[in-house]
Amino acid sequence: MADHQGLLSGGWDRVGRNKRYIIWFYLLNLALACLGAASFNNQAHDFLDHSLRSERLVHSLDVGVLIEMFAQPEFGPTHASRIAGLHFAFLFFIATALFLPGVLQGYASTYRLPREDFFRACGRNLWRFIRLMIVAGIVMGIVAAALFGLHGVLEKKAAESTNELLLPEVQFAGLAVIFLVMAALRIWFDLAQADVVLSDQRAVRKSIGAGFRHTWRNLGRLLASYVVTTIVAAIVLMAGLFVWIKFVPPSSVLSAIIVSQLTLLLLLIPRFWQRGVAVTYYLQNMVAPIAVESFTPVPVALPVVNEPAPAPVIPSVPPEPQVS
Amino acid sequence: MKIRWMILFFPVVSVVMLSLLVQQHAARAAAPQGALAAASVASAASITSGPQAIPDTTLAINSATPMSQRVVHYEIDAKYDATKHTVDATEVLTYHNLTGQALDHFPFHLYQNAFQPNATWVRETKVEGGRDVSYEKWEDKDYGSEEIKSLEVVGQGDLTSKVQYIQPDDGNKDDKTVVDVHLPKPIAPGEYVQFKIAFQTKFPETQARSGWKHDFVLGGQWFPKVGVFWHGAWNCHQYHAFTEFFADFGVFDVKLTVPKNEIVGASGVLIDQKDSDNARTFTYHGDDIHDFAWTASPRYKVKEDGVFQGQMGPVQMRILMQPAHWSQVGRHEKILRESLEHFESWYGPYPYKTITLVDPESAEAGGMEYPTFITGDTSWFMPEGLKLPELVIEHEFGHQYWYGMVATNEFEDAWMDEGINSYSEVKVLDSILGKRTSILNLAGATVGEREMQRGSYASVADLDPIAQKAYDYYNNSSYAGITYGKTASVLLTLEGIIGEDVMAKAMRTYFMRYRFTHPTKEDSLKTIEEVSGQNLRWYFDQAIYGSQVMDYKVLKAESFPVNWYEEKKSASQKDKNTVYRSYVWLQRKGDFVMPVEVEIKFDNGEKVREHWDGASRWTKFTYEKKAKIESADIDPDHKIQIDRNDFNNSYRAEAYGRPARKLTNYWVFMTQWLGQALAWWAV
Repeated sequence: MADHQGLLSGGWDRVGRNKRYIIWFYLLNLALACLGAASFNNQAHDFLDHSLRSERLVHSLDVGVLIEMFAQPEFGPTHASRIAGLHFAFLFFIATALFLPGVLQGYASTYRLPREDFFRACGRNLWRFIRLMIVAGIVMGIVAAALFGLHGVLEKKAAESTNELLLPEVQFAGLAVIFLVMAALRIWFDLAQADVVLSDQRAVRKSIGAGFRHTWRNLGRLLASYVVTTIVAAIVLMAGLFVWIKFVPPSSVLSAIIVSQLTLLLLLIPRFWQRGVAVTYYLQNMVAPIAVESFTPVPVALPVVNEPAPAPVIPSVPPEPQVS
Repeated sequence: MKIRWMILFFPVVSVVMLSLLVQQHAARAAAPQGALAAASVASAASITSGPQAIPDTTLAINSATPMSQRVVHYEIDAKYDATKHTVDATEVLTYHNLTGQALDHFPFHLYQNAFQPNATWVRETKVEGGRDVSYEKWEDKDYGSEEIKSLEVVGQGDLTSKVQYIQPDDGNKDDKTVVDVHLPKPIAPGEYVQFKIAFQTKFPETQARSGWKHDFVLGGQWFPKVGVFWHGAWNCHQYHAFTEFFADFGVFDVKLTVPKNEIVGASGVLIDQKDSDNARTFTYHGDDIHDFAWTASPRYKVKEDGVFQGQMGPVQMRILMQPAHWSQVGRHEKILRESLEHFESWYGPYPYKTITLVDPESAEAGGMEYPTFITGDTSWFMPEGLKLPELVIEHEFGHQYWYGMVATNEFEDAWMDEGINSYSEVKVLDSILGKRTSILNLAGATVGEREMQRGSYASVADLDPIAQKAYDYYNNSSYAGITYGKTASVLLTLEGIIGEDVMAKAMRTYFMRYRFTHPTKEDSLKTIEEVSGQNLRWYFDQAIYGSQVMDYKVLKAESFPVNWYEEKKSASQKDKNTVYRSYVWLQRKGDFVMPVEVEIKFDNGEKVREHWDGASRWTKFTYEKKAKIESADIDPDHKIQIDRNDFNNSYRAEAYGRPARKLTNYWVFMTQWLGQALAWWAV
């Protein structure tokens, strides 16, 4: 256990030791998106496969042709495809909520978490996570609404200025502040999630309280970690798009698929890194210390993360009788 | 003095005097814009050519003689109150009755009254949509207005009480955008009449490309403007949601007094500038123009050292930029210069001495044309690859030709200015910025102007015909899609029918023949027929006067072995001697009938061209060859721009899945990213 490790490096170690989670989440993300795009795929093939004009879509990203295509009644409405895409994106969100407790459990383990324990953690914490999500949704919704409302007022004021640059400056500054506040809220509920899972906390409100207290006390340190990981995510996305645009020939669909999927795979890492940071912080600062008194042992609640008892070593040959 | 000496003396003196006068006139015409003082003296002299005459000045044009039949002379003395956004002014309008008949009444436009809650402009915009709808947030003080305080007709007395609001188009009694004045004594043909009008205009917050925003103001359609006597009657429409304007050519002398800190730009040439205590008076003069617009802001940054050497003389390019956009001034000047070059070379000379390009404070004031004065549209963030400023500036400059000089009736024939100009826009931007990259060329994504024009038309293809009054369109999208998009596509298709060179010649002929006049739609169509030497009625009847929609389709293209029963026996193995019977079915889905070319490609590389007159709903071509059909393509040379659906114009016998796979990859990527983003923030 890296008790004295920095949050970022501690989190990164946990991500590195459990790369399989990212792979599984990526595959889930891809599978759901493929299902979500099936309807659009059929539409596109029906409309384009026999047309010579579709060639213009291959050799560049001709947005004019694309707009024309979507405007054709023969292409059919994309409404159903869009809704399907949204539904499958939502499914991924639900799946993340479902499997996240297992990930947190795995990150806290010093060994490879057995599959049964992973799913046990998922099942055990499902309802707790739903409650947490509802509270987080309410809090984040209220705060976001208030911040965006304020942002709107400031924008309106800035728009009254004769300095045209004031508006984009206010917009940028406002969005930066909103991002920081929302990131702080995210940290709060990430710590609460870690506490719920790793302390096996049934009373979610206690975890929310603990998460809030720790976020408040160590806001600078935690926020810095989250900002760094978010910046990494932004860099990954920008770099991926840059490579896609700059180096992938427009007609090479396979290369585009590889680059885009690699980008999305790498894009998952920063969020899991944040989870690793939250678990590291939890283990360093939030685990209830085991109080040991000199003579009267105090019963201590067993941690949820139990290392499996070492299997009894059964020698292949019976032990020889001890000779005294 | 003997009589014979006297006879000799007088002609000689007259010739010498005349030569001196002509020389002086020419020198004045060639004088640079900066020579204010000298020019003002000359101008002042020329303006006072008599109260009942239109001056024959040429101060603002690179021509020794007037270029239009001048009907009006406006002399306006206006004072702008920058805090109240009002103009208090006196206007002396001299009107020359060239109608060939006595005129006993005169209608005037009061355009700023359109921005009242019950005016026709607002009513229509609420129902049919429009570009600007910020009037919905206005309070009482924000509405625009234009009020005639007094009106006198020289020699006929004060007629203020005879001024009546009329609503010739829709009978909306709350609409006050047109007034009519009945004269006690009619004005005989060939005579002049002079109106002396005192008026106050209150600008709204920028709306329909006029008005104020912060300390900026765009003075467009701001003074009482007389209607046009056209085809035997007054043509003076109310201001509608989609309509623009129509006015007679003449001379404008405008004195504009503004707060001293204001930087001003306007139609015509600046001939004088005087300061008083807290104000500055600018005097502008315009020749052979039919409207006058101006702008003022204390914060403009000005570039005015650009000169375009036009065919008739130098043209000063004056660019007024918002400070935050100053880095884009080079882009603005470049596209303006290139537009001038293209229009001069393709259509005819630009005769004016100035062109003022304004980068307005508000988007609602952007993208507008007035004679020798246009507004662009940009923002502080405008990547090089996004060509919106270029698009707007080229379009508005094009209006100097299609509206400014060929002054069609924008109320009734909007396609003749907006549509023909959109066609020119496609051609010019294709030439300058590339066919497929003229709007966007950024990060691998491209958009071409002609696709955008056809796209805007395709969405409203069957709603309205082109030849229709602008205020009779179904809604704003239909007006825009048909007037701009369809006209451009129709003319591009016409270019395919008569040939690019012939079309270019026809457009040039049309411009040179009808500049400084008010041509009708038939004038333009007949010019094209005349130059091409073709009867194009079949096309115009459907494309201009009708609302027929063109949609050709290759239904199917298939090949079967002729001796299919033997092929079956030999396990369908293709033999180079196998003869195939191939079929191509074409369908005319729309009701627009037009002959088309079809190209059929076979898998041995052979190509066959067929001609189909399109008269029947469908047709079939059959071939027997030792090759199978690879593809069939209607309009293989891409001459047709008005086919609503371009994708079904061709058919590949074997499916080609790459385009669909490429788009599906985008779709999957977006869905995955959306899912990740949701999970990032919400779990």
